[in-house]
Amino acid sequence: MTDLAVPVTTRKDWASDQEVRWCPGCGDYSILSAVQLLLPELGIRRENTVFVSGIGCAARFPYYMNTYGMHSIHGRAPAIATGLAVSRPDLDVWVVTGDGDSLSIGGNHLVHALRRNVNLTILMFNNQIYGLTKGQYSPTSEVGKITKSTPFGSLDAPFNPVSLALGAEATFVARTHDLDRKHMVETFRRAHDHRGASFVEVYQNCNVFNDGAFEAINGKENRADMLIPLEHGQPIRFGADGEHGVASDGHGGLRLVEVADVGEDALVIHDERQVNPSLAFALSRLATGPHEPTPIGVFRAVERPDYGSLVDQQLLEAQNRQGVGDLASLLRSGATWNYD
Amino acid sequence: MTSVAERPKPFVLPEYCKGCGRCISSCTKACITMGTEINPVTGLVPIVLDLSRCNGCGLCFEACPEPYGLRPQGEEAAFELVDPSTVLGPRPYAAPQPEPWPDTSVPLPEREPLIVKGTYAAAVGAVLAGCRHVFGYPITPSTEGAELMAKVLPELSGVFVQAVSEVATVNMMYGAGGAGKRCMTFTSSPGFSLMLEGISYMIGAEIPAVFVNVMRGGPGLGNIGPEQADIKLVCRGLGHGNTHAIVLAPATPQEMLDIAMLSFELAFKYRNPVVIVGDGYLGQMTGKVRLPRQMTEPGIPEWAVFGDRSHRGNLMCSLDLSEVGLEQHNVRLNEKYAQMTAEEQRADLYRCDDAEILIVACNTPAQLAKGAIKELQDKGLKVGLFRPITLWPFPIEALLTVLDRVERLVIVEASSGQLEDELRLALSHAEVHAPPPMSHVRRMGGILPSQDEIVEHVLGLEEVR
Ligand code: SF4
Ligand code: SF4
Ligand code: SF4
Repeated sequence: MTDLAVPVTTRKDWASDQEVRWCPGCGDYSILSAVQLLLPELGIRRENTVFVSGIGCAARFPYYMNTYGMHSIHGRAPAIATGLAVSRPDLDVWVVTGDGDSLSIGGNHLVHALRRNVNLTILMFNNQIYGLTKGQYSPTSEVGKITKSTPFGSLDAPFNPVSLALGAEATFVARTHDLDRKHMVETFRRAHDHRGASFVEVYQNCNVFNDGAFEAINGKENRADMLIPLEHGQPIRFGADGEHGVASDGHGGLRLVEVADVGEDALVIHDERQVNPSLAFALSRLATGPHEPTPIGVFRAVERPDYGSLVDQQLLEAQNRQGVGDLASLLRSGATWNYD
Repeated sequence: MTSVAERPKPFVLPEYCKGCGRCISSCTKACITMGTEINPVTGLVPIVLDLSRCNGCGLCFEACPEPYGLRPQGEEAAFELVDPSTVLGPRPYAAPQPEPWPDTSVPLPEREPLIVKGTYAAAVGAVLAGCRHVFGYPITPSTEGAELMAKVLPELSGVFVQAVSEVATVNMMYGAGGAGKRCMTFTSSPGFSLMLEGISYMIGAEIPAVFVNVMRGGPGLGNIGPEQADIKLVCRGLGHGNTHAIVLAPATPQEMLDIAMLSFELAFKYRNPVVIVGDGYLGQMTGKVRLPRQMTEPGIPEWAVFGDRSHRGNLMCSLDLSEVGLEQHNVRLNEKYAQMTAEEQRADLYRCDDAEILIVACNTPAQLAKGAIKELQDKGLKVGLFRPITLWPFPIEALLTVLDRVERLVIVEASSGQLEDELRLALSHAEVHAPPPMSHVRRMGGILPSQDEIVEHVLGLEEVR
């Protein structure tokens, strides 16, 4: 290898020649372009980048990337990506999934990839519906949701994906939405740069089967009063003039306040690096759904050795202890092998 | 007065020792060693005792995690019989023996035929057969049947539950079926693959349920086009162990309804899952469907875990730790399979009476073959269709009745030869060692063989040229 410098790329270099086939107007388009805008800035190589997906509309993502890709089994993308990331720690492994893929059938695999802190960047497009199978309710659909499979309304309490990821010991948890490209790009950048499993929930509009699910919080006129931007080290406040804020509720949780009523000093200062996830969790509970003021940005970003590094370290230690193994001599060593 | 000498030494009940070795390290006198013989009842290796140095300290009783592993000597009499119920006495309840609440048949008025698509017809048939519990996970092209059920069932005090995966689905069916309820699912090939684990357990525990598998293109994710490439799976590969289930292959919307009804009857007759295989085309095909003149109001079978006093002794399980017991269970299951093979073969013979060329096909390819046969008969050829309705058991007896005159078998299927394999296996089991020459029309990957392809193939046969 002579040329060690990472070649300069543009957005076009990361786009494949495939026709993008989401429904016209689908939020997936803007997420795709945010990722394609970001990648040239990351100083990474296309040939070291892999997008892994499961099944669902979001899962088409790898087709549209001029990188390596795996379009895999429903719900299993985190497991497949774990196998890849552990065997090839030099690769940049992204998982693109949806609320059905990752929280229903893949719930098991997702929580364990997070718990193990496998070095993955997981983008979860949450549209609160099954789009590919044409409109059944998903694990993030609200109670009472009328869909084709719940004609009388869903009875299931939905998951809050951010709370779930925090509960699964995730070291990086963030939320963004498909109508704010800049916010997406910055959030994805942080997620990519994080070593370990990073989980990003992207509110994504499915304009065919669940149109307007996030309108109440990210519609143009609603944003200022309904989205709560999280910035590390800053008091948590929102509104056109920062007139609303977040303060302790005195019972271990948080509440929304008017800054004028409580004073600036009462506002909670966001600290994404707190080892204890309580603040991040309390923030994730502020809104019960995308109809109340909802925090976006990075909830939690803490350091913990990632799974791949731990594996490497264990191998090194084993080899230091007893030398590099020699399979041939082990095979010849007799009828029984002593291995300790 | 208690003296050291009087303290009891241990004895081991080999059937209850799991060979964990905890007692070995507890003994300061090294009286206990790991045995070398596998116990035939448990398949485990129990410890052996050499009590020459034993001082009766009793530490090993404490160490043993098994209630009946190591016991103080003197208690042997109480453990003479291995069955714990003889130690503990019979289970203390005096509930009446469970009796079945019989199904009742409710007459239906005569009415106009419905015009519905295949998946809906199967759903209607299931409701008429008394199915009130449907579980499923969205997968194209089978979701519509479940969606219809979601609309219809609440009015009938039934329920559709959208599970979080096919693995969850099949286990919900284990639960509902175990309660003696008539339950079903609609799925498609990749989803059916995921259900196989549960199906093996259900066959082992003898739990009835109906699975509709609308087969699609594979392997892997494949596509959503029609294929018939799950035939080997449903006939030969229903999970691990000695498993079989009756597999029915309808060809028209009317049959989707009739076969859905029949499937529940068979599932409960044999206490075994039943699989209906269709293809995506059949699922979407709209046709006239005549309703039967009666429907079933289901009862509760005597074996169900129903949750009332009389069903209290019932236990559903596929576990049998003793090899002897499990072998007997397998023998019994195989007797059921033999009975299914003897009694449940079904086939449709179309223009077979004087057929010299016999097409073998099922599902939609059989419908296409019928079209081809009409064309070929107009050309003066003696062509018939043998359509297995049960793929397992293969309806070999009906085939044997017409095989003598047949000069050529043409197998038409949307797979790489899985139906042909079933046919060849059935012929071989029937000791037909010189069957007529076979050829085939096969398509794969979500494409059905076309009528033209069948006609062309037959016209190209040497018997015809
Ligand atoms: S169904 Fe919904 S999520 Fe899927 S591509 Fe269409 S708009 Fe997007
Ligand atoms: S009673 Fe005490 S000495 Fe005897 S076998 Fe048990 S542990 Fe050993
Ligand atoms: S502790 Fe009990 S089960 Fe374990 S080896 Fe001893 S007797 Fe067997």
